[in-house]
Amino acid sequence: MNQQEVEKVLQKAAEMKVFCEYGQRTIPVLDEIAGFLNEISPAIEDLKAVLEVAMMNIPKAAGQLGRVTEATEQASTQILNTLDKMVATLDQVITSVSSGMIASDLGVATNKMAGIVKTLVEKSGWDADIVELAEAWAAHLRSMKMSGPTSNLERLLKDLQDDCTEIMMALQVQDITQQHIGTVMGTIQAIAEELRKLTTGFFSVPAVQSLSINLPLPNDSEVVGEIERKKMVESLLSKARAGQL
Amino acid sequence: MASIKILIVDDSITIRRIITNALKTVGFTDTIEASNGKEALEKLPSGKVDFIITDWNMPEMNGLDFIKIVRSNPLYSSMPILMITTRGTEHDVVEALQAKVNSYIMKPFTPQELKEKIEGILKTVQVSTE
Repeated sequence: MNQQEVEKVLQKAAEMKVFCEYGQRTIPVLDEIAGFLNEISPAIEDLKAVLEVAMMNIPKAAGQLGRVTEATEQASTQILNTLDKMVATLDQVITSVSSGMIASDLGVATNKMAGIVKTLVEKSGWDADIVELAEAWAAHLRSMKMSGPTSNLERLLKDLQDDCTEIMMALQVQDITQQHIGTVMGTIQAIAEELRKLTTGFFSVPAVQSLSINLPLPNDSEVVGEIERKKMVESLLSKARAGQL
Repeated sequence: MASIKILIVDDSITIRRIITNALKTVGFTDTIEASNGKEALEKLPSGKVDFIITDWNMPEMNGLDFIKIVRSNPLYSSMPILMITTRGTEHDVVEALQAKVNSYIMKPFTPQELKEKIEGILKTVQVSTE
């Protein structure tokens, strides 16, 4: 064996020594890791059981929520159909009322009739038919006082139409809640999928089945009220118009 | 105001009806509808549309992608577009403006808000084409 070969052997021996020293340090670490894995193994088994149940329940929950949104959409459609009919009927009634005498003409005609009836009663000497006419006229005047002039009626009918419009606009809540439900289900699905990936390798869990409703991933929406958000939107639009965006 | 034809794009039939009724109450009676961006693109050429109102979140083609395609067509580069959506973060608004919507309104909205937005956009478009 020459010097070079001896040096090679010594070098190898030194490397072996470093390796053994390294091994001495890593073995306790490996022991700790093994101990940790043994400790968490029951927890992983529990998580597996929970995930398996979740993987079955998430699609069911999504299906149920989908049915809820379908039902609310159907109900909204029925309400809109009824409101459309109400608005159309009110339109017809308003047109009829408007095409009748206007309040001032009615007032003049009423006074004229009142005068004619009075003259007839005085001239007829309380003839039975004339008295009946006077009583019918008095009843007509009473009913007119109760219903008010036609301008009031038109206003009331238009107020009813505005109320119908308000009800229609309130139905926007159906679409807003549908989108919120979709966002929540998307969050749940994303969490379940991440948990599944995390635990892959320890055991196999079936992938989250594709859900029956469209599930966008959640936005990082700011938690502010509707009015504040609308103000923020208008502020951004103003900045855009001013070229500041 | 001259009569304009408005294309309403939203996947919710309830919202389309609400927008149609709201437009009617404020004087805009000529409307057509589409349930997503793809359907809207098919109706655009033959529909003689003067104004677009679109939602953001829709299946097949969302509102933002729809707007980008519309704006990329020289025929529709100055088409007035109003976005009506539940999305209301600063990021969303900026993204919509970068896609060149003319304006943005959040749900729930009132007929008066809708009228003001449409009239505002039409005034701006008129000024820019003079």
